[in-house]
Amino acid sequence: MTTATALSFSTPALLEQLAQLNAEQLDQLDFGVIGFDTDTNVCRYNRTESEAAGLTPPRVLGQPLFTNVAPCLNNFMVAQRFEDTEDGNSALDETIDYVLTLRMRPIKVKLRLLAEPGSAVRYVLVQRRL
Amino acid sequence: MIDPVNLQAFGADANTHLAAEHEALMQFLYLSPVGLVQTGVDGEILMINPISAQLLMPLQRDGNLLNLFEALEGVAPELRHLCASFARPNGMICDGLQIHLNHPGYAGGGALRPRRSPQVLSLSLLKLDDTRLMAVLSDVSEQVRRERQLRQNDAWLNALLTSITDYALVGLDREGRICDWNETIGRVTGHTDAVVGSSYAVFYPQDAITAEQVHDRLREADQNGWSLDEGARVRADGSQFWGSAMISPIPDAEFDEPDAPAYCLVLRDISDKRDASETRRKSAFCDHLTGVANRRAFFEAAELELQRNRRKPRPTALVLIDADHFKRINDRHGHPGGDAALRQLGLVLTATFRQVDVVARVGGEEFAVLLPSSTLAGAAAVAERLRQLVQSQRVAFDGTHIDFTVSAGVAASEGGDLDLDMLMKRADQALYAAKAGGRNRIECWNSSMSAPVVRSPGPRDA
Repeated sequence: MTTATALSFSTPALLEQLAQLNAEQLDQLDFGVIGFDTDTNVCRYNRTESEAAGLTPPRVLGQPLFTNVAPCLNNFMVAQRFEDTEDGNSALDETIDYVLTLRMRPIKVKLRLLAEPGSAVRYVLVQRRL
Repeated sequence: MIDPVNLQAFGADANTHLAAEHEALMQFLYLSPVGLVQTGVDGEILMINPISAQLLMPLQRDGNLLNLFEALEGVAPELRHLCASFARPNGMICDGLQIHLNHPGYAGGGALRPRRSPQVLSLSLLKLDDTRLMAVLSDVSEQVRRERQLRQNDAWLNALLTSITDYALVGLDREGRICDWNETIGRVTGHTDAVVGSSYAVFYPQDAITAEQVHDRLREADQNGWSLDEGARVRADGSQFWGSAMISPIPDAEFDEPDAPAYCLVLRDISDKRDASETRRKSAFCDHLTGVANRRAFFEAAELELQRNRRKPRPTALVLIDADHFKRINDRHGHPGGDAALRQLGLVLTATFRQVDVVARVGGEEFAVLLPSSTLAGAAAVAERLRQLVQSQRVAFDGTHIDFTVSAGVAASEGGDLDLDMLMKRADQALYAAKAGGRNRIECWNSSMSAPVVRSPGPRDA
């Protein structure tokens, strides 16, 4: 069995492995994890992401991702890709360069977008770039 | 005496309270539905909220977002200049400046406009002091659409209600030819009855209306009950005035009689009113540096022309022009030198193209010209003339001179087959080919260019 710490931002076939981690294991990862359900409400939010954003999980969990948590992702580069993937009933595993506004500072990051047909949870993973 | 243990508890409690307060404030900013950015005077981003990133990231080719001026360079090239020339120690630099986004560079290199994309952003810039600016950004696409409708209604009311001293009442046949003579035509335009039989285009300056546009206005009058147009008009002696013209169909016109009046044209001299409306028009529709149309005016005019095109197909051409090695001009002569070159380019463009063509600055050193009723070959010939003129003229600047050249890409729609996005995309591909082919040249679009190219920040950006 894979241990949480063995997983990195670029581990292949990451979606199913993330799904098996519990909240504590998710917190051990050194990259940010935001998982959201079929209604786009946030259902997983790990410590790395929480600390970077300065928001505690209770403020985020259960909130719609693209309007109430990360409106900066509500454009065709991120939100629409998830929508298109859902419409096409296909899988998504793409990594893009992006800038997040963590604590109102522009932070260069890589985003990895993960979705699979039928998966209950889709993910946005966040890693800082130098 | 206060018990030290209690003091500690009090401190911890205050910290928790402060942390919660801080988090609530942060979330307030995270969720603000308008974009807020604080920058240095050079545009370097110091603080930025999520909506700003949502709006600006699709404009970035390199996936970075470090400088606001650079982030908007492709769509609002005037910002740096606007801030640099703002002399007061603090205050509003621009308030609700409209930035139009449909640009080949948007959406990562010319993809068709994606669903989830704004078309117009509004930007306000406030200078706080010598070191800081605050910017407010929002998506105003929907408001702009509504405003455009209102402006049309306004123009219509103006035409009806403004007190006027005189007007010409002109009967037009189904083809737009003047079919009767009367005194009012002579008073306003100076023409004699010899003008009967001419198209109403005779009231326009040369090159200011095409034969197709003459018909467009008649069709619009058929469809809407009226067609209103304001702009420069010319009298028989060649002198110009600012005119307002309304064409309306005559109900129950005798359709079996080809020469009978089918439309009524009311032409008024509103030169008095012109100054005020021209100033307003200039500030909203002109590029401040070069005096040619800005992106907003360009996209409005181009959309309108292509809409008419779909109703009544005819060729329409688009030329995208880019100053070669512009960065080198800026490096060698500074931004004022670059500005001088762009002003010169604006002048040459205006002098080279027809009055009916829409010449606009659509990016930092990028210009676009829409040519109604022009073929690919026709537009390419004019573009070539422009290229030669620019090459042969030196720009005097600061005791020395600047030599520069331009590259251009030409694309055309044969009928109503292409929309503006597609036309822009093709012209952009042709321009890219001209740059890749060594610059100082014109390329016309051909189908081999539409192969998807992964655009490195190569020749275009040099």
